[in-house]
Amino acid sequence: MTIPQRLKSLWPAWRSREEREMREELESLAEIAGRKELGNLTLAMENARAAWGWTWLESLFADVRYAVRALCHQPAFVAVAALSLALAIGANSAMFSFADAVLLRPLPVPDPSALVDVGNSAPDEPLEGMSFPDYRDIRAASRSFSGLAAYRITQLAAAADPAAPARIRFAALVSDNYFRVLGVEPAAGRAFLPEESRSPGRAVAIVSHDYWRQYGGGRPAVGANLRLNGILFTIVGVAPEKFTGLDRFVLPSVYVPLAMSQRLDSAAADPLEDRGLHNLVVKGRLGAGATLDSARADLAAIGAALERAYPKTNHNRRPSVRTELARRILQSPQLLALSKMLMGLVGLILIIACSNLANLLLVRAHARRREIAIRLSIGAGRRRLLRQLMTESFLLAALGGTAGLFFAYCGILLLGTLSVPSDPPFVLGVQLDWRVVEFSFLAALVSCLFFGLAPAWQAVRLDVVSALKAGGRGVSGHHRTHARDVLVLGQIALALVVLIAAGMFLAGFRKMLAMPSDFRTDHLIGMDTAPAMLHYKPEQARAFYRQLVDRARAMAGVADVAMTESIPLSPSQTTLSVVPEGYRFPKGREKTLVFGAAVDAGYFRVMHVAIERGRAFTDDDRAESRRVAIVNHQFAATFWPGQDPIGKRIRLDSADGPAAEVVGVARTGHYLLVNERPQDYVYLPYSQNPRMRMTLVVESSGDPASLAAPLRDLVRSIDANLPVYNLRPVATLYQSRATDTWLQFFQMVGAMGFIGLTLAMTGLYGLVAYTVSRRVNEFGIRVALGAGRRDVVWLVERRGLILAAIGIAGGGVLTAVAVPALSAAFFGLGATPPVVYVIVPAGLLMVSAAASYLPARRAAGLDPLRALREE
Amino acid sequence: MDLLQGTLDMLVLRTLRAGPLHGYGIAGNIRATSGETLDIEFGSLYPALKRLEAKGWIASAWQTSEHNRRAKFYRLTAAGRKQLRREHSRWADFVSAVGRVMGPVPEVKA
Repeated sequence: MTIPQRLKSLWPAWRSREEREMREELESLAEIAGRKELGNLTLAMENARAAWGWTWLESLFADVRYAVRALCHQPAFVAVAALSLALAIGANSAMFSFADAVLLRPLPVPDPSALVDVGNSAPDEPLEGMSFPDYRDIRAASRSFSGLAAYRITQLAAAADPAAPARIRFAALVSDNYFRVLGVEPAAGRAFLPEESRSPGRAVAIVSHDYWRQYGGGRPAVGANLRLNGILFTIVGVAPEKFTGLDRFVLPSVYVPLAMSQRLDSAAADPLEDRGLHNLVVKGRLGAGATLDSARADLAAIGAALERAYPKTNHNRRPSVRTELARRILQSPQLLALSKMLMGLVGLILIIACSNLANLLLVRAHARRREIAIRLSIGAGRRRLLRQLMTESFLLAALGGTAGLFFAYCGILLLGTLSVPSDPPFVLGVQLDWRVVEFSFLAALVSCLFFGLAPAWQAVRLDVVSALKAGGRGVSGHHRTHARDVLVLGQIALALVVLIAAGMFLAGFRKMLAMPSDFRTDHLIGMDTAPAMLHYKPEQARAFYRQLVDRARAMAGVADVAMTESIPLSPSQTTLSVVPEGYRFPKGREKTLVFGAAVDAGYFRVMHVAIERGRAFTDDDRAESRRVAIVNHQFAATFWPGQDPIGKRIRLDSADGPAAEVVGVARTGHYLLVNERPQDYVYLPYSQNPRMRMTLVVESSGDPASLAAPLRDLVRSIDANLPVYNLRPVATLYQSRATDTWLQFFQMVGAMGFIGLTLAMTGLYGLVAYTVSRRVNEFGIRVALGAGRRDVVWLVERRGLILAAIGIAGGGVLTAVAVPALSAAFFGLGATPPVVYVIVPAGLLMVSAAASYLPARRAAGLDPLRALREE
Repeated sequence: MDLLQGTLDMLVLRTLRAGPLHGYGIAGNIRATSGETLDIEFGSLYPALKRLEAKGWIASAWQTSEHNRRAKFYRLTAAGRKQLRREHSRWADFVSAVGRVMGPVPEVKA
């Protein structure tokens, strides 16, 4: 049959016409030959319909219809099953959306898998950027790519209305071919032209869709003006709404040609000619026939040639080609560990839910023994019946998956509150999108196989004769529930693991609340300013900050003032390249990149950062005096273990950079994340290491928030054009970065624990209740023979408790494996207080006792006469 | 006598070469020409007709029968004729091959 014919035969009107035709034909023949002569005409017609070739679809329809009918008869069963699945799938989908946002989601460009990351791999830094000259040479020499684009993310003071005060925004400085290589067409206007990217560049910009909607004031973007770092730009295009840049968390508001770098930063030399400045991200679109491996070989040759030609800047540097996912994992291994941990925990919940469903289906199959035996005995094939039962499971899974999306949405709303208060904002990007929907249905499909197949298989394998003989009740006795016991044991064991995890997070959260923070957070307000964006000369910036500190100190309500390059736990931390003298680096490496900041003499005093040994910076550490540094305890332990760090020297930038003498050791704190491992940290005095953007930390005598407006006015009075940002009490930052982060993770894992507990207890309750219902006449006899109420309760209760105890013991073994993995994934968990290992199992045992008590009470309340009559 | 798998289609096509017939007529014709040996059940014949029709080898139309009754008559199409030739030669090959293997009917020893 040809395809159009086959499709035609799906058409209901065609089918009914064809059926009528057949019926008429058969009736006319019956008149000629006599009905008896022709045999079973209905069957003949049935078989004739097979010629249309859609029997499978018809029988699928029949299966679905039958399954819907069968399920409608048991709404309670369907509700419990679908709700169990929905909770588990919802939790999984929510966590998937988190993992998707932080790691998995492909780049928002056409054919993202062909776009690879091209970087530098140096022994000191596996993820180093490219210098522009290297990029230019590689772009000219490589044969593997249909295009190579370069960009870097920076912060700019942007004013959509050139007359209004500027705000700090993320911007991408991009190569001329950026949009072309990505395959992104501007939604309005055009992409950049090659001549706009030739040094010294032209002041043209492409704005992001969101930025212009928010700040454009309804004007058409193309042709409008925009002030960036005080330079007037003309907008030539608008990026499409879906394109939000190539980085997670950081969404650029504007794109400008890379050639504008020098003017935007008012740098003395053109940064695009500095082969030693490795700060560009390069993305390549693989050409036809090229693979990751061929591109790697191609670039290795080019990289070797560059290293020979420019030994000074390219020593030990190899171009690396990676997939986007590999780059993200390398960039943030802690997010991979966190995603794995969360996905692992919700995976356990899905297993619990599936066992629950398998259990329910086993009971159901048992109750349907008679029906199945009859259908088998009148000639239904076992495969056909298996398919029928799997159709029911599949419907349940689809129901659970759909309802799961609702729970996923709730979870995503909760995850959406994980925010980082920052100017410009960092965006986590957890959202309910098609990928999450697809994931939910995939999870439903997989769980359907997991929970449906074994019970269905067991159901159709039954012995027809004995099943029919035993009647609807089947063979009683508890040797039949072994499989179900194991399922319930597994559920309790896994629930214990998830609950212990929740307990660990709760303990961590409590510890965090009780523990004094590494630095003072009360009565402090921070404020960022960036004279660099207004093209201040270094000496002008120094004068500006001197004036700012002096005048702030004189303000009413101000107790003290300090300055730092970055406040601890703020989301963007500054780093330093240092060479600790006397430390032997592994082969190939010659320096290390650590967190660090330039701070003034007041910093340790105002922030209450404890100096364990030596001294803090003083006003006597001047530009012209001996260079000094302070390291944290962790730094000393890493690089000078067992030695006195005071008096040691650190080379800055490289082995032949200036040397600073360590004069103090500060206590180790948290610098970027509240759950980070102890980090090495170096403090340098601002006086010897002036910076172009600093954070002012002001100690207030009253409410720090009340100082916000006066501080903003103070900056305005010095320079009205200078952008002020991240102006907020330090306690607000600490609250969101430390306390709230912990609270949210505890809530997440706690919710998982609760779901796991509920599901496992539903399973236990179901099993115990089922056993009671199978043993009704046994209990009847016992009561008739004089057993007391308490005896019967204990008989049932004992069974529940034994199951729970074995499950908890099994869970204990699993926990021994899981806890180290959890602690590794979420470092801040630390050592879990032993009380968690007591309270959680005890609590689980108590809840198990309660879950078995309900059926036990029913068993005890049985009327012996009625119970015996039922036989 | 049972039919070999797949021969029913061929028999139907061959029967219709003589001219259009209705469903019951085809069954009767096969029975008569086979000397009452091949008694095709209508229940198997009818789906075969529908299958052949779907393949385009036969076509049907309402006509009036010899007893002045309306019935659906099937006739061979050009494609069906071609198919019959193909099956016929395949059948001949098959019969002669099996015949060579089997040889003459052996005498039954008591």
